[in-house]
Amino acid sequence: MKDPYESLGVAPTASADDIQKAYRKLAKKLHPDLNPGNAEAEEKFKEIAGAYGLVGDAEKRKGFDSGEIDAAGAERPRQNYYRDYATSEQDHPYTDNSGFADFMDSEDAFAELLRRSAQAQANRRGHDLAYRLPIEFIESIAGANKRLTLPEGGTLDIAIPPGITEGQVLRLRGKGAPGSGKGGFGDAFIEVEIKPDRSFTRQGDDIYLELPITLTEAVLGARIKVPTPTGAVTMAVPKGSNTGRTLRLRGKGAPMHAGGYGDQLVKLKVVLPKELDPELEAFVSNWQGGKTHNPR
Amino acid sequence: MKISKEEFLSLSGMGHEMLDAWIEEEWLIPGGSSPELSFSEIDIARARLIRDLQVDFGVNDEGVGVILNLVDQLYGMRRTLMELRHAVRTTPSG
Repeated sequence: MKDPYESLGVAPTASADDIQKAYRKLAKKLHPDLNPGNAEAEEKFKEIAGAYGLVGDAEKRKGFDSGEIDAAGAERPRQNYYRDYATSEQDHPYTDNSGFADFMDSEDAFAELLRRSAQAQANRRGHDLAYRLPIEFIESIAGANKRLTLPEGGTLDIAIPPGITEGQVLRLRGKGAPGSGKGGFGDAFIEVEIKPDRSFTRQGDDIYLELPITLTEAVLGARIKVPTPTGAVTMAVPKGSNTGRTLRLRGKGAPMHAGGYGDQLVKLKVVLPKELDPELEAFVSNWQGGKTHNPR
Repeated sequence: MKISKEEFLSLSGMGHEMLDAWIEEEWLIPGGSSPELSFSEIDIARARLIRDLQVDFGVNDEGVGVILNLVDQLYGMRRTLMELRHAVRTTPSG
């Protein structure tokens, strides 16, 4: 960073009064809000504001003159200036078009353009607002009604359609920011985030579930209850079902765009009792077929 | 982003009386109605500009009013210019 006295154009011996005068003279010319179209002014303004922050303060000036503080520490952090907001598309109450109102009164094409532009400003549609909404896996399949509490206050009721997928965006018309004049409200966009489920996963329109079954059910077959996102159903496990066998529950998957439903695929997993049963142990040790069978 | 009056005071470092006076002068135009005023980021930036004018530039109250009036006209024109530019760019030529 430049020497602060040099930035302000004063001698290092200048009085506090002269420093203030020099700063004010430069700042009036360079303040970014008073020079909205001049990018260079902002850089220069930062420089002189930093310089004045240092040598315009009696204490800090003493520190700088004695070498305890150096000029690098005087740079001001970038702040948002008024001009950044005043010319943004966002509506604000400070816009004043009286500076060219007379131009709008004539009959030429330029006046027509100005009138249209002023009209558009007066009746600007509100901004769209974006939110994220985390939902449960089951809600993503079965659908749900959710209420979102908005960071700026208020709530938004959202009907989640059945079968929604991760990252899908719902549009709520007219639920965005208010517009001006006859501009109407913007829209709210809700991005849906599906929380991972402990049991279910989804691939396309099909839902996958790993289901533990007992040895008895695996060997003898059984009718068992299987959870699906829309409630439990009864499923027949055929006799002699091994771990890894996948059974299909038709129509128990996610709703499809074209109508109809995907399937739920249930992958069986045979689970032995946690504590080894002595009777089972005795049976297996006497079981001749088990000794000749080699699945590897 | 909506900012309450209390938050605005702490963010801008202003006192109650000064803020009330600025609103009275229409230097600041918050949304909502008293006592539930709501401010936004542009109001904070505008308050900072007014402080710069008063403290750093030594402009008195009458001067601030004159400057803000001209600043608002300047920005009104800039916005309209930007819209005209947009209109010209998006109009098919010929």
